Amino acid sequence: MIDGATLLTILLMASATYATRALGYAVLRGRTLSRRARVMMEAAPPCVLISVIAPAFASRDPADLLALAITLLAATRLPMLATVLIGIGAAGLLRHVLG
Amino acid sequence: MDAKTAVPRRAETVAEIRQGLAAALPMMLGMIPAALVLGAQAAQKGFSVAEVPLLTGLNFAGGSEFAAVALWTSPPHILLIVAITFLINSRHILMGAALAPYLRHLPRRIVYPALFLMCDESWALALVDARRGGGFRLAHYLGLAVALYATWVVFTALGGAIGPVFGDARSWGLDMAFPAIFLVLLRGFWTGAAAARPWLVSLAVAVAAYLLLPGAWYVAAGALSGLAAAFLLAGSEA
Repeated sequence: MIDGATLLTILLMASATYATRALGYAVLRGRTLSRRARVMMEAAPPCVLISVIAPAFASRDPADLLALAITLLAATRLPMLATVLIGIGAAGLLRHVLG
Repeated sequence: MDAKTAVPRRAETVAEIRQGLAAALPMMLGMIPAALVLGAQAAQKGFSVAEVPLLTGLNFAGGSEFAAVALWTSPPHILLIVAITFLINSRHILMGAALAPYLRHLPRRIVYPALFLMCDESWALALVDARRGGGFRLAHYLGLAVALYATWVVFTALGGAIGPVFGDARSWGLDMAFPAIFLVLLRGFWTGAAAARPWLVSLAVAVAAYLLLPGAWYVAAGALSGLAAAFLLAGSEA
Protein backbone atom coordinates (compact mmCIF):
# COMPACT_ATOMS: atom_id res chain seq x y z
CA MET A 1 0.00 0.00 0.00
CA ILE A 2 1.60 3.16 -1.25
CA ASP A 3 -0.15 6.51 -0.92
CA GLY A 4 -0.10 8.80 -3.98
CA ALA A 5 1.02 11.98 -2.18
CA THR A 6 3.64 10.01 -0.26
CA LEU A 7 4.97 8.50 -3.49
CA LEU A 8 5.13 11.91 -5.17
CA THR A 9 6.98 13.41 -2.19
CA ILE A 10 9.45 10.55 -2.10
CA LEU A 11 10.11 10.78 -5.87
CA LEU A 12 10.71 14.54 -5.66
CA MET A 13 12.96 14.12 -2.60
CA ALA A 14 14.93 11.46 -4.46
CA SER A 15 15.34 13.74 -7.50
CA ALA A 16 16.51 16.66 -5.34
CA THR A 17 18.98 14.43 -3.51
CA TYR A 18 20.38 12.89 -6.70
CA ALA A 19 20.78 16.37 -8.17
CA THR A 20 23.02 17.31 -5.22
CA ARG A 21 25.08 14.17 -5.74
CA ALA A 22 25.63 14.73 -9.48
CA LEU A 23 26.00 18.53 -9.51
CA GLY A 24 29.43 18.98 -7.93
CA TYR A 25 30.97 16.45 -10.29
CA ALA A 26 29.08 17.71 -13.34
CA VAL A 27 30.18 21.31 -12.80
CA LEU A 28 33.80 20.76 -11.74
CA ARG A 29 34.76 17.80 -13.91
CA GLY A 30 37.82 18.56 -16.00
CA ARG A 31 38.53 22.00 -14.54
CA THR A 32 41.75 23.10 -12.92
CA LEU A 33 41.17 24.88 -9.66
CA SER A 34 43.05 27.85 -8.24
CA ARG A 35 45.08 27.37 -5.06
CA ARG A 36 42.43 29.16 -3.01
CA ALA A 37 39.66 27.02 -4.48
CA ARG A 38 41.68 23.90 -3.70
CA VAL A 39 42.15 24.97 -0.07
CA MET A 40 38.40 25.52 0.19
CA MET A 41 37.62 22.17 -1.42
CA GLU A 42 39.89 20.48 1.09
CA ALA A 43 38.26 22.32 3.98
CA ALA A 44 34.72 21.55 2.77
CA PRO A 45 34.42 17.90 3.84
CA PRO A 46 35.35 18.28 7.52
CA CYS A 47 33.29 21.48 7.79
CA VAL A 48 30.26 19.60 6.45
CA LEU A 49 30.80 16.57 8.68
CA ILE A 50 31.20 18.61 11.85
CA SER A 51 28.14 20.74 11.03
CA VAL A 52 25.96 17.64 10.63
CA ILE A 53 26.76 16.50 14.20
CA ALA A 54 26.48 20.00 15.73
CA PRO A 55 23.22 19.09 17.55
CA ALA A 56 25.22 16.66 19.74
CA PHE A 57 27.48 19.56 20.80
CA ALA A 58 24.46 21.80 21.47
CA SER A 59 23.04 19.52 24.16
CA ARG A 60 22.54 20.99 27.65
CA ASP A 61 22.43 17.60 29.35
CA PRO A 62 25.71 17.03 31.29
CA ALA A 63 25.45 13.26 30.68
CA ASP A 64 25.25 13.85 26.90
CA LEU A 65 28.17 16.30 26.91
CA LEU A 66 30.37 14.04 29.04
CA ALA A 67 29.57 11.07 26.79
CA LEU A 68 30.39 13.22 23.75
CA ALA A 69 33.75 14.21 25.30
CA ILE A 70 34.57 10.55 25.93
CA THR A 71 33.55 9.68 22.36
CA LEU A 72 35.67 12.53 20.99
CA LEU A 73 38.68 11.31 22.97
CA ALA A 74 38.12 7.76 21.73
CA ALA A 75 37.82 9.01 18.14
CA THR A 76 41.28 10.59 18.27
CA ARG A 77 43.03 7.27 18.91
CA LEU A 78 40.77 4.23 18.38
CA PRO A 79 39.35 2.50 15.30
CA MET A 80 35.78 3.09 14.12
CA LEU A 81 34.02 0.15 15.76
CA ALA A 82 35.68 0.62 19.17
CA THR A 83 34.80 4.31 19.10
CA VAL A 84 31.16 3.59 18.22
CA LEU A 85 30.85 1.02 21.02
CA ILE A 86 32.50 3.32 23.58
CA GLY A 87 30.24 6.19 22.50
CA ILE A 88 27.08 4.11 22.82
CA GLY A 89 28.23 2.62 26.14
CA ALA A 90 29.19 5.98 27.61
CA ALA A 91 25.93 7.66 26.53
CA GLY A 92 23.72 4.82 27.76
CA LEU A 93 25.54 4.48 31.09
CA LEU A 94 25.94 8.18 31.89
CA ARG A 95 22.29 8.93 31.12
CA HIS A 96 21.23 6.25 33.61
CA VAL A 97 23.77 7.32 36.24
CA LEU A 98 23.42 11.11 35.90
CA GLY A 99 19.85 11.23 34.55
CA MET B 1 42.08 -8.17 -22.76
CA ASP B 2 43.68 -11.62 -22.99
CA ALA B 3 43.22 -14.42 -20.49
CA LYS B 4 46.61 -13.90 -18.85
CA THR B 5 45.93 -10.36 -17.65
CA ALA B 6 42.22 -10.96 -17.00
CA VAL B 7 42.84 -13.28 -14.07
CA PRO B 8 45.07 -11.05 -11.93
CA ARG B 9 42.85 -8.06 -12.71
CA ARG B 10 39.84 -9.96 -11.56
CA ALA B 11 41.63 -11.05 -8.37
CA GLU B 12 42.62 -7.44 -7.78
CA THR B 13 39.01 -6.29 -8.21
CA VAL B 14 37.77 -8.93 -5.77
CA ALA B 15 40.45 -7.87 -3.27
CA GLU B 16 39.40 -4.22 -3.61
CA ILE B 17 35.73 -5.08 -3.09
CA ARG B 18 36.71 -7.06 -0.01
CA GLN B 19 38.76 -4.17 1.37
CA GLY B 20 35.79 -1.90 0.75
CA LEU B 21 33.48 -4.25 2.63
CA ALA B 22 35.96 -4.45 5.54
CA ALA B 23 36.16 -0.66 5.70
CA ALA B 24 32.36 -0.42 5.65
CA LEU B 25 31.71 -2.99 8.37
CA PRO B 26 32.11 -0.78 11.46
CA MET B 27 30.00 1.90 9.79
CA MET B 28 27.31 -0.61 8.92
CA LEU B 29 27.11 -1.51 12.60
CA GLY B 30 26.98 2.17 13.49
CA MET B 31 24.22 2.83 10.94
CA ILE B 32 21.91 0.12 12.24
CA PRO B 33 20.64 1.97 15.33
CA ALA B 34 19.98 5.14 13.34
CA ALA B 35 18.24 3.12 10.60
CA LEU B 36 15.98 1.34 13.08
CA VAL B 37 15.07 4.63 14.76
CA LEU B 38 14.27 6.30 11.42
CA GLY B 39 12.10 3.38 10.32
CA ALA B 40 10.26 3.37 13.64
CA GLN B 41 9.66 7.13 13.49
CA ALA B 42 8.40 6.90 9.92
CA ALA B 43 5.99 4.12 10.90
CA GLN B 44 4.69 6.34 13.70
CA LYS B 45 3.98 9.07 11.13
CA GLY B 46 1.90 6.64 9.09
CA PHE B 47 4.40 5.25 6.59
CA SER B 48 3.43 1.76 5.45
CA VAL B 49 5.88 -1.16 5.52
CA ALA B 50 6.48 -0.65 1.77
CA GLU B 51 6.84 3.14 1.95
CA VAL B 52 9.77 3.14 4.40
CA PRO B 53 12.25 1.29 2.12
CA LEU B 54 10.84 3.22 -0.86
CA LEU B 55 11.92 6.45 0.86
CA THR B 56 15.30 5.22 2.11
CA GLY B 57 16.10 3.25 -1.05
CA LEU B 58 15.33 6.03 -3.55
CA ASN B 59 16.54 8.99 -1.50
CA PHE B 60 19.32 7.30 0.50
CA ALA B 61 20.35 10.32 2.58
CA GLY B 62 19.71 9.83 6.29
CA GLY B 63 19.75 13.43 7.49
CA SER B 64 17.10 14.53 5.00
CA GLU B 65 15.01 11.45 5.77
CA PHE B 66 15.00 12.22 9.49
CA ALA B 67 14.00 15.80 8.65
CA ALA B 68 11.28 14.68 6.22
CA VAL B 69 9.79 12.29 8.77
CA ALA B 70 9.93 14.98 11.48
CA LEU B 71 8.09 17.41 9.16
CA TRP B 72 5.66 14.79 7.84
CA THR B 73 1.94 15.49 7.98
CA SER B 74 -0.95 13.84 6.24
CA PRO B 75 -1.04 14.94 3.45
CA PRO B 76 2.63 16.03 3.39
CA HIS B 77 3.79 19.60 2.65
CA ILE B 78 5.54 18.45 -0.50
CA LEU B 79 7.43 21.64 -1.40
CA LEU B 80 8.66 22.24 2.15
CA ILE B 81 9.94 18.71 2.49
CA VAL B 82 11.63 18.72 -0.93
CA ALA B 83 13.26 22.12 -0.24
CA ILE B 84 14.57 20.95 3.15
CA THR B 85 15.83 17.77 1.50
CA PHE B 86 17.79 19.77 -1.06
CA LEU B 87 19.15 22.07 1.63
CA ILE B 88 20.34 19.31 3.91
CA ASN B 89 21.87 17.39 1.02
CA SER B 90 23.45 20.45 -0.61
CA ARG B 91 26.65 19.34 1.09
CA HIS B 92 26.76 16.60 -1.57
CA ILE B 93 27.52 19.32 -4.14
CA LEU B 94 30.74 20.18 -2.30
CA MET B 95 31.46 16.51 -1.70
CA GLY B 96 31.06 15.64 -5.39
CA ALA B 97 33.24 18.61 -6.29
CA ALA B 98 35.96 17.43 -3.89
CA LEU B 99 35.82 13.96 -5.40
CA ALA B 100 35.73 15.14 -9.05
CA PRO B 101 39.53 15.50 -9.51
CA TYR B 102 39.95 11.82 -8.58
CA LEU B 103 37.30 10.61 -11.07
CA ARG B 104 38.91 11.88 -14.28
CA HIS B 105 39.98 8.41 -15.40
CA LEU B 106 36.40 7.08 -15.31
CA PRO B 107 33.72 7.47 -18.02
CA ARG B 108 30.59 9.45 -17.16
CA ARG B 109 28.30 6.44 -17.69
CA ILE B 110 30.07 4.82 -14.70
CA VAL B 111 30.43 7.93 -12.53
CA TYR B 112 26.81 9.15 -12.64
CA PRO B 113 25.29 5.86 -11.43
CA ALA B 114 28.12 5.45 -8.87
CA LEU B 115 27.37 8.90 -7.45
CA PHE B 116 23.86 7.74 -6.54
CA LEU B 117 25.53 5.72 -3.75
CA MET B 118 27.61 8.62 -2.41
CA CYS B 119 26.82 9.26 1.26
CA ASP B 120 28.90 10.98 3.96
CA GLU B 121 30.59 7.74 4.96
CA SER B 122 31.28 6.23 1.52
CA TRP B 123 32.50 9.55 0.21
CA ALA B 124 34.83 10.18 3.15
CA LEU B 125 36.32 6.68 2.94
CA ALA B 126 36.77 6.91 -0.83
CA LEU B 127 38.43 10.32 -0.58
CA VAL B 128 40.82 9.28 2.20
CA ASP B 129 41.62 6.14 0.18
CA ALA B 130 42.21 8.15 -3.01
CA ARG B 131 44.49 10.65 -1.22
CA ARG B 132 46.62 7.81 0.11
CA GLY B 133 48.27 7.84 -3.29
CA GLY B 134 46.54 5.08 -5.22
CA GLY B 135 43.79 7.32 -6.56
CA PHE B 136 40.07 6.52 -6.62
CA ARG B 137 39.47 2.75 -6.73
CA LEU B 138 36.03 2.05 -8.21
CA ALA B 139 35.71 -1.54 -6.95
CA HIS B 140 36.72 -0.49 -3.43
CA TYR B 141 34.16 2.34 -3.48
CA LEU B 142 31.39 0.12 -4.86
CA GLY B 143 32.13 -2.59 -2.28
CA LEU B 144 31.71 -0.24 0.64
CA ALA B 145 28.99 1.95 -0.87
CA VAL B 146 26.71 -0.98 -1.82
CA ALA B 147 27.20 -2.51 1.65
CA LEU B 148 26.22 0.77 3.32
CA TYR B 149 23.25 1.22 0.98
CA ALA B 150 21.93 -2.29 1.63
CA THR B 151 22.36 -1.86 5.39
CA TRP B 152 20.47 1.41 5.38
CA VAL B 153 17.54 0.17 3.29
CA VAL B 154 17.20 -3.18 5.07
CA PHE B 155 17.38 -1.80 8.61
CA THR B 156 15.14 1.21 8.01
CA ALA B 157 12.57 -1.22 6.59
CA LEU B 158 13.04 -3.44 9.64
CA GLY B 159 12.64 -0.42 11.93
CA GLY B 160 9.39 0.42 10.16
CA ALA B 161 8.12 -3.11 10.63
CA ILE B 162 9.15 -3.66 14.28
CA GLY B 163 9.20 -0.01 15.34
CA PRO B 164 6.65 0.00 18.14
CA VAL B 165 8.38 -2.97 19.84
CA PHE B 166 11.78 -1.31 19.72
CA GLY B 167 11.12 1.45 22.27
CA ASP B 168 13.36 4.42 23.04
CA ALA B 169 16.80 4.17 21.36
CA ARG B 170 18.05 7.22 23.23
CA SER B 171 17.87 5.58 26.65
CA TRP B 172 20.25 2.92 25.33
CA GLY B 173 22.72 5.51 24.10
CA LEU B 174 22.34 4.30 20.51
CA ASP B 175 22.04 7.82 19.16
CA MET B 176 25.71 8.41 20.06
CA ALA B 177 26.70 6.04 17.22
CA PHE B 178 26.12 8.84 14.69
CA PRO B 179 28.50 11.45 16.23
CA ALA B 180 31.04 8.69 16.95
CA ILE B 181 31.15 7.70 13.26
CA PHE B 182 31.47 11.30 12.12
CA LEU B 183 34.25 12.08 14.61
CA VAL B 184 36.32 9.13 13.37
CA LEU B 185 35.68 10.24 9.77
CA LEU B 186 36.89 13.71 10.74
CA ARG B 187 40.13 12.28 12.06
CA GLY B 188 40.84 11.07 8.51
CA PHE B 189 40.94 14.71 7.38
CA TRP B 190 43.23 15.97 10.16
CA THR B 191 46.41 17.56 8.81
CA GLY B 192 47.22 19.78 11.80
CA ALA B 193 45.65 22.43 14.01
CA ALA B 194 46.18 25.29 11.54
CA ALA B 195 44.24 23.58 8.75
CA ALA B 196 41.51 22.68 11.24
CA ARG B 197 40.65 26.29 12.20
CA PRO B 198 37.69 26.37 9.77
CA TRP B 199 36.31 23.25 11.49
CA LEU B 200 35.92 25.20 14.74
CA VAL B 201 34.20 28.04 12.91
CA SER B 202 31.80 25.52 11.35
CA LEU B 203 31.09 23.87 14.66
CA ALA B 204 30.49 27.15 16.51
CA VAL B 205 28.20 28.56 13.82
CA ALA B 206 26.34 25.27 13.37
CA VAL B 207 25.71 24.97 17.13
CA ALA B 208 24.49 28.59 17.29
CA ALA B 209 22.28 28.07 14.22
CA TYR B 210 20.91 24.84 15.64
CA LEU B 211 19.91 26.63 18.84
CA LEU B 212 18.56 29.79 17.18
CA LEU B 213 17.12 28.82 13.79
CA PRO B 214 14.24 26.49 12.96
CA GLY B 215 14.65 23.37 10.83
CA ALA B 216 17.90 22.12 9.39
CA TRP B 217 19.56 25.43 8.47
CA TYR B 218 22.39 24.66 10.85
CA VAL B 219 24.05 22.26 8.37
CA ALA B 220 24.18 24.87 5.62
CA ALA B 221 25.14 27.68 8.03
CA GLY B 222 27.98 25.70 9.60
CA ALA B 223 29.37 24.38 6.32
CA LEU B 224 29.27 27.76 4.55
CA SER B 225 30.86 29.68 7.43
CA GLY B 226 33.66 27.11 7.61
CA LEU B 227 34.23 27.55 3.88
CA ALA B 228 34.27 31.33 4.31
CA ALA B 229 36.88 30.93 7.06
CA ALA B 230 38.98 28.67 4.82
CA PHE B 231 38.71 31.25 2.01
CA LEU B 232 39.87 34.09 4.28
CA LEU B 233 42.66 32.06 5.86
CA ALA B 234 43.93 30.91 2.45
CA GLY B 235 44.03 34.57 1.36
CA SER B 236 45.95 35.73 4.43
CA GLU B 237 48.65 33.13 3.88
CA ALA B 238 49.08 33.68 0.12
